[in-house]
Amino acid sequence: MSKPELVKLIDTTLCTACRGCQVACKQWNEMPGLRTKQFGSYQNPPDLQWNTWTLIRFQEYEDAQGNFDWIFRKDGCMHCTDAACVKVCPSGSLYYTPMKTVGLDHDKCIGCKECVAACPFHIPKYDERTDKVYKCDLCYTRIRESLAPACVKSCPTGALTIGNKDEMIKKAYARVAQLGGDANVYGDKFVGGTHVLYVLKHKPEVYEELPASPKVPLSVIVWKDLLKPLSLVAAGAAAAGVFLHYITHGPKTPGPEGQDKKGEE
Amino acid sequence: MKKGYVQVTDSYERIIHWSLAISCLLLCLTGLGMMFHTFNFVSYLFGGMHNMKFVHNFTGIVFFIALLLAIRMWWREAGVFVLPEDMEWVKVAGGYLWHVDNVPETGKYNPGQKAFYLAVVIFGVVMVITGFIMWFPAKFPVGLVRWMYPLHALGFLVIFAFFFVHLYLGTIGNPGTVQAMFSGWMDKKVLTMLHPKWVKEMEHEGKLIAWGEQKKDDTHGHHA
Repeated sequence: MSKPELVKLIDTTLCTACRGCQVACKQWNEMPGLRTKQFGSYQNPPDLQWNTWTLIRFQEYEDAQGNFDWIFRKDGCMHCTDAACVKVCPSGSLYYTPMKTVGLDHDKCIGCKECVAACPFHIPKYDERTDKVYKCDLCYTRIRESLAPACVKSCPTGALTIGNKDEMIKKAYARVAQLGGDANVYGDKFVGGTHVLYVLKHKPEVYEELPASPKVPLSVIVWKDLLKPLSLVAAGAAAAGVFLHYITHGPKTPGPEGQDKKGEE
Repeated sequence: MKKGYVQVTDSYERIIHWSLAISCLLLCLTGLGMMFHTFNFVSYLFGGMHNMKFVHNFTGIVFFIALLLAIRMWWREAGVFVLPEDMEWVKVAGGYLWHVDNVPETGKYNPGQKAFYLAVVIFGVVMVITGFIMWFPAKFPVGLVRWMYPLHALGFLVIFAFFFVHLYLGTIGNPGTVQAMFSGWMDKKVLTMLHPKWVKEMEHEGKLIAWGEQKKDDTHGHHA
């Protein structure tokens, strides 16, 4: 039986920042809590970490009219269709699951950190102790058994839901139509469409740490689509070239039997 | 060795050459194993991909040291073009591509050798710098780190393609020359054909060491 293509919808307008998802994520994935820093915000830890795969970002926002909004955004892997991390991963540790999410096989990870630089959302985090990279895998061990990811399971307000891609996109647009104003769907229009969608109340530019138009970095395309194949072509051309030279022009030898007569002085 | 052979390299030169060559080839091999999933099997030689990463990184340090010594040792002889004689040689491609009656004489190294040397130096330095930043990406801005990867791939493209040409020209393409990098001795006839001006210079300065003859000056060639 083929698995459906899944999309997780994060409706930021329904989020109350209870952070149940953050705790449930740690629990299911058996990630430890580490000492953290109070930096004047409920946002804790300050950023995604190797042991924190999802994080509620707290942001105080005032629009041009002086209206205040306390924004809560659940940050984490967006599970791109065209994922830069999968493209650069040298060992096949990062891969597309049958549900089209981006999985991470830690046995294969070699800690090269190429995905850390490639990701347009700055999601993968490196742990020096294990020399491996960590990120949300949308609870692959749960979704492959048709269970909801731990974060979705824990969400008390319905801000997090998961389902078939088409249905979830429809649901997101219906919610945006209901909200009106600047509300928009974030995720379906770039990097081939992400498998995590946001319903945002404000324009994407408003949100901290959220790229307005994320894309696979040009450097990754130049590297993987151009120079990588070209390097083998160049090596093959050089090898073919010298062979042709040998059978046509021939080697340089001194004396009358040689093709080149120079050096007879 | 036999009569008619002359010494063209000293042991220091050969050690630097092979340090650079072996570390470079090991880097190409392990790098290929990480760049292409198809070549991941190379990692079985090194105990898995994770170990191969360390082999690659630490071999890079050996390559870096060998490269620095190679730059110091050969820069004056091979790093600088001498005009107009080098230009004359380039015009006829050194007689390597079509028949040329008299190939213009150049210094110890011809412009083709110099171009290859410079390619290794320039892209070798590129590989060391980009490789170092790729090793410790957290210490550098991500916008910089991202471009290190394609630059590293470009360096590989140049150096790996160069390897085949270098291998050919140093062996079957110029019979008799490969011994310069093993025993250090070459048939004077071959040497005179390939580097007539250098032979004349050495003879003029009394530095040419011929097999069976009394050494005139032990320190020909290179002063480290």
